[in-house]
Amino acid sequence: MVAIAKHEQDLRKGVLVLAVLSQLRDEQYGYSLRQALAKRGMPIEEGTLYPLLRRLEAQGLLASQWKAENGPPRRYYALSATGAELYRELSESWASLATVMSELLEGEKR
Amino acid sequence: MNPDALIESYVAEVVRHLPRKQRTDVGYELRSLLTEELRGRVGDSAPDTAATLDLLASFGRPAEVADRYRPAGFTIIRPADAPRFAWISLVGVAVQWVITLIATYTAPATGAGDDWLSRLGTWWLSAGLGAFWWPGLLVSLSIVAAVITARRDGDAPDWTPRAASMLDRDHISRPLYVLAIAGALVGIAALVAAINLAEWWPGLPQPLLDAFVIDADFLATRAPWALVLWAATFASMIAVLVAGRWTRTTRLLAIVGNALWVVLLVWWVAAGPIFVQPYADSVTKGCLLLVAAICVLDLVLTARHLRHGIPEPAV
Repeated sequence: MVAIAKHEQDLRKGVLVLAVLSQLRDEQYGYSLRQALAKRGMPIEEGTLYPLLRRLEAQGLLASQWKAENGPPRRYYALSATGAELYRELSESWASLATVMSELLEGEKR
Repeated sequence: MNPDALIESYVAEVVRHLPRKQRTDVGYELRSLLTEELRGRVGDSAPDTAATLDLLASFGRPAEVADRYRPAGFTIIRPADAPRFAWISLVGVAVQWVITLIATYTAPATGAGDDWLSRLGTWWLSAGLGAFWWPGLLVSLSIVAAVITARRDGDAPDWTPRAASMLDRDHISRPLYVLAIAGALVGIAALVAAINLAEWWPGLPQPLLDAFVIDADFLATRAPWALVLWAATFASMIAVLVAGRWTRTTRLLAIVGNALWVVLLVWWVAAGPIFVQPYADSVTKGCLLLVAAICVLDLVLTARHLRHGIPEPAV
C-alpha cells in the first residue's frame, strides 16, 4: 500500500518554512501562529512548528521577544531583516515553481 | 496526575536534552504553549489526564522533540559507510578472539585449577573484553574525522571532472609505479647481498655471517625458480607502466603471477630448511608465509576487481 500520508507530509515539509515566514510579517506567538496557519488550510503539528520557530530564530531569520499582553508572558516572533529578504526570494521561487507544477499537472490531465 | 503536572514533567524531559543555557527559556515557552494547546483542544470543559496524554503523545517523544530544537548536527558514520564499518569492527574483534583463544588453550598448563573454564574466564577478562579497543578506536577516529570534515565543510574541494577522473581504478600513477619497481629492485638486491654476505663482506662479525648461511639444497633446487617469477613479474610491471593503466590481460597475468608466487613460497617453506641456522630459518619462513598471505589477499582483490563489472539486467 502506498503511504499517501507520508508523501503528503513530505510535500508539506518543503513549503513549511515559507508558510511560517508568510505569517510572521506581523508578530505572532507559537499558538496563535499555529491557529493562523490552520485557519488558512495549512495545519502544522505543534511538535514540528514550535521547535522550527527556535531554529529559524537561531538562523537569524526571526527575531523574538517575551511579552505579557492579556495573560501570561509569551514569546512573540517576527521576521528579521534577513528573514524578510529570504521570504521575498522564496515567494518568487514558489510562484515560479507553482506555475511549472500547474503546467505539469495540467499536461497530465490533458 | 493532574494535567499541569503532566505537562511540567514532559517539558522537563524535553529540556533535559537541550543545552543548559536554553533550558529555562525553551521550557517556559513550551509549557505555556502546551497548556494553551490543551485548553484549545478541550474547549470549555476542564482538561483531564486523557486529553493531556493525547496531546503529549501527538507532540512526540521528548528526545525527538529536543532533536527538533537543535540545529542539524554532524554525521559520525555516513549511512553508506555503516555496513562496512560494522563489518570491519566485528571482523576485527572476531580475529582477535580467535587468535587469543588459540593462544590461551594451547599454552602449557600451569598446575592445579588450570581447567578450560578458568582459562576461559581469564581470557574473557583480559583479551576477550580487551578486543573491544578496536571498535572503540574506529569510532574515535570517525568522530575526529567527522569533526574535521564538519569544520572544513566550506573548504571542501569541489567535485570537478579532474576529481571524478580519480575514480578510474585502472589508471596508475607512473611516477609512483616507477618508485614501486625501483623499491622491488632494491629489495631483490638486498636479498642477493644477504645470500652472498660472507663472500662480499668477509669482515662482518661471525655470528652475523653464520645467520645468513643458506642451505645448499635450497639454493640448488628451490631458489632458482624465484628468478623465473621475478623476471615474469617485472615484465608484467613494465607492461602496465608502458600502458599507463591496468587492462584485463595484465590483471589476469597478475592473478596468475600471485598464484605462482604463493605456490613457490609454500614449497620453499614446506620442502626443507632455507637457512642453516634454525632460528634464522624459522624467522624467514614466518616472513615468507606472511608474504604468501599478502599475495593471496592481492589475488582475491584483483579477482574481485575483474569480476565486478555491472551485469546487464535480464529483459
